[in-house]
Amino acid sequence: MEDVKNLEEVEVERFSAFDRFVHWLTAIPFVYLFLSGLGMYSPKFAWLLPFLGGREFSAWLHKWAGVVFTIGVLLMFLRWAKDFVLDSDDRIWLANVKYYLKGEEEKLPEAGKYNAGQKLFGWMVFIGGAVFLITGVVMWFPETFSTTFVRLAILLHEITFVVVGAGFIVHLYMGTVGVPGSLSSMITGKVSALWAASHHPKWFREVMRK
Amino acid sequence: MATVTTEGTVGLGLRRVSASKSPDQNIKKSDQLAILVDISSCIGCKGCEAACSQWHDLKPPLFAEEKVFTGYQSGPGLAPSLFMFMRFQEAETEKGLTWFITKYQCMHCSDPGCLKACPSPGAVIQYSNGIVDFDHSKCIGCKFCLSGCPFDVPRYDANNKPWKCNFCVDRVSAGLEPMCVKTCPTNALHFGTKEEMLIRANQLLQGLKKRGFDKAVIYDPPGVGGTGYIYLLPHGDKPEMYGLPKEASISPLISLWKGPVKLIGSVVLWGTLLGAFLQLILFGPIKVGKKHKKEE
Ligand code: HEM
Ligand code: SF4
Ligand code: SF4
Ligand code: SF4
Repeated sequence: MEDVKNLEEVEVERFSAFDRFVHWLTAIPFVYLFLSGLGMYSPKFAWLLPFLGGREFSAWLHKWAGVVFTIGVLLMFLRWAKDFVLDSDDRIWLANVKYYLKGEEEKLPEAGKYNAGQKLFGWMVFIGGAVFLITGVVMWFPETFSTTFVRLAILLHEITFVVVGAGFIVHLYMGTVGVPGSLSSMITGKVSALWAASHHPKWFREVMRK
Repeated sequence: MATVTTEGTVGLGLRRVSASKSPDQNIKKSDQLAILVDISSCIGCKGCEAACSQWHDLKPPLFAEEKVFTGYQSGPGLAPSLFMFMRFQEAETEKGLTWFITKYQCMHCSDPGCLKACPSPGAVIQYSNGIVDFDHSKCIGCKFCLSGCPFDVPRYDANNKPWKCNFCVDRVSAGLEPMCVKTCPTNALHFGTKEEMLIRANQLLQGLKKRGFDKAVIYDPPGVGGTGYIYLLPHGDKPEMYGLPKEASISPLISLWKGPVKLIGSVVLWGTLLGAFLQLILFGPIKVGKKHKKEE
């Protein structure tokens, strides 16, 4: 391979325009759902609702944002699910995730296009999206379902919110501050070759071979 | 938690407010109000039903006869524009064919599930006299109150706002008795403090027992801390026949949701945020590997 300095200048395409579109189609409604949900989850965050268009309005838009979010998740599933299948390397990666957090990636199995953590978040969104949809529809039309079923739906909706919400906080942090150089992949679609080679070496070699 | 002021309700004082800290209970002390429904004296005339709709300016839905057969009932049940209805059911008992008649409306639970389930500060309030009421200006239309209610009471209008019996809080505040009580021609409805109503219910209960209704009971479900509407049921062993749950209480699913799950959820979410911050300040961002550079 050539000089490292050149690697920094070379750009590789990580996400196509369609990939990026699907990502934001899911992410923008998600942020609205997360914040309006948070305002309903805890009275301490009830002040968020007026900022999201008003108390009543945000509870109303929450449902329709959910519909758009569902379309995004579905497209994302069709496109990315095959890449998120966990292999034996991923298991080793997860067991030794502490090295990742310490910034010692070289002690971990080389990652392909997605590392095990990213794959896991992918499944959180897919499974979470399905649970949000089913429970959300039940909560939307509580008069059509049995009371026990609606109560269970609210409980599951909330538990899913906590799990997926925690995943989202990590995802947001990693995509912006935690792993510098990542954000451009979802904006221009490109990352530096150096970024690719150090965070996703297996994938980088595949791309280079082409 | 958010603290909701008692705007417009200072005169009455509040005991509980949805999604908010309870107001100080040491300022105003009110008697608990109650309505006693003596089913043994009810003749099923539906005068209370008509009076309720009249006082509250409601236009209850008219049900097309061919649609649902509801027998002697005015319709299948509560509606946003029908705060109470008389429920009729027939069954064989040891006393022969019996008509189970119940005045059905919000029970004004001492521990209201609707208020517990509501996520919007101030949308459900319980006055210090025990009356449970909704404030539509603060309601977000989520319909959680229906899931919280053990009696399946709130009904929603086109804007998803809940309606129910408000114990004629306007009349009661002005020193009048609730409209349904005022109307009842047989004195089957009694209005007063909960204490008085329980004493009267007990006297009536003794009378009923003497007349051979040895299974008669006073329905005042302890699972919700007692209710503002109490019933004297001649066939106390069959509350379901009156449309009343045997053991009314707030569903454990609701308690789980509003209790442990909320607490654990908050710890998990704040903990994750703290974790991300600690990673940042202890180890720093995950940059492109330095070792990698050397190897190349
Ligand atoms: C898939 C589509 C979704 C649908 C149909 C849906 C529907 C609903 C409905 C009907 C409610 C009751 C309040 C209201 O009427 O607005 C609700 C509450 C809530 N939603 Fe969603 N939702 C969806 C997705 C999400 C997502 C993605 C999140 C979080 C990231 C979320 C978080 C919440 C939270 C926290 C609450 C409040 C529940 C509580 O008090 O604990 N929802 N949702
Ligand atoms: S519908 Fe309104 S009153 Fe009922 S729980 Fe939701 S916000 Fe509260
Ligand atoms: S009966 Fe239902 S609506 Fe009425 S106070 Fe009890 S929980 Fe609330
Ligand atoms: S107390 Fe008032 S609102 Fe409630 S049923 Fe009687 S008349 Fe109707």
